[in-house]
Amino acid sequence: MDESGEELEPLFDYRRVQPFNTPFNLVCLDDDTPDSSPVISKKRKMIVSAVEKKQDKKEAVQIIDCEEKEEDWLPPSPKISAHTSNLGEDSTIKEIRLKKKELASFAQSAKDELRDVEESVKRDLSASLHSLQDSVAELPSKSSTERAKIVISIQDKDGAKQFRVYADDKFERLFKLYADKVKLELQSLVFCFDGDKIYPNATPSSLGMEDDDIIEVHVKPSG
Amino acid sequence: MSGGIARGRLAEERKAWRKNHPHGFVAKPETLPDGSVNLMIWHCTIPGKAGTDWEGGYYPLTIHFSEDYPSKPPKCKFPPGFFHPNVYPSGTVCLSILNEDSGWRPAITVKQILVGIQDLLDQPNPADPAQTEGYHMFIQDSLEYRKRVRLQSKQYPPLV
Repeated sequence: MDESGEELEPLFDYRRVQPFNTPFNLVCLDDDTPDSSPVISKKRKMIVSAVEKKQDKKEAVQIIDCEEKEEDWLPPSPKISAHTSNLGEDSTIKEIRLKKKELASFAQSAKDELRDVEESVKRDLSASLHSLQDSVAELPSKSSTERAKIVISIQDKDGAKQFRVYADDKFERLFKLYADKVKLELQSLVFCFDGDKIYPNATPSSLGMEDDDIIEVHVKPSG
Repeated sequence: MSGGIARGRLAEERKAWRKNHPHGFVAKPETLPDGSVNLMIWHCTIPGKAGTDWEGGYYPLTIHFSEDYPSKPPKCKFPPGFFHPNVYPSGTVCLSILNEDSGWRPAITVKQILVGIQDLLDQPNPADPAQTEGYHMFIQDSLEYRKRVRLQSKQYPPLV
């Protein structure tokens, strides 16, 4: 094992050797670290750093594997190349690492930018939602929204209840709401405006109703 | 002339009525065939008061305003032949608040007129008869009178 431990040094070289292939075939690097494709997507920033760590671990593992598999997939070329162009390798590796860092930082900045955008969108969204709620809250006093609302009183013998409805909404809905509120069958109720029966498919605007107009409700005698 | 005053006042009356009026009452200016509104004639409905022989009836009343309104009272008319001691055979209502020389004041509103007439239905004024049949029956045969009133209430069922 001591011997293999000593051989670790050349195996470390081997790591340096590997990128040596890259000038000829950049895909080699990709094969080794499949996740760090040249085009690093925004989401991969974490993966990139993780891969870097993984690489180290892999190499540690490979150290053991290499002994056995050396013949399988590592032709003698590494040793030759290791001796021939050590400096070249280093510079290439440095270049690649720099490139990697650059890409990683690029990914990081892209991610930050994305987050900024997301946050600003969220802010805008909540702000607009807020303003929407405000405008909804203001509706009672102002009916200057796209879909005009109208306040209508439904009056029975005992008094009136006020309802705020869309001016172009069929009375159907209001009548159901009212029937539920007073706990009476809708069929037993007759709604009138100015003495005329209101049909469920009419709308406040179709009857020319104005704010605070009164709808009279009569309960049909049972039976 | 004063017609401007009458129409202005009537527009106000109508506006106020739309926002607030007693249950079962109707009061709206006449709509002409061409869709325009004649503020000088109003078509109204007075419901018979609950708990009286008039209950269940919805009595049609037409109010005619003159150009002198509100200095002068409007003329209120039920259908001709309406059965009531204080209603003329023509249908015109005889009521103190509608009399220029007695109870009328320009401040009296349409609502007050209609509620006043509703009160009159069940509380005739024998001191001021306007038709023979209703008056005599009211004075001489209370049972028959009430029967006749209940019969009439059925002749004016709710319009809806």
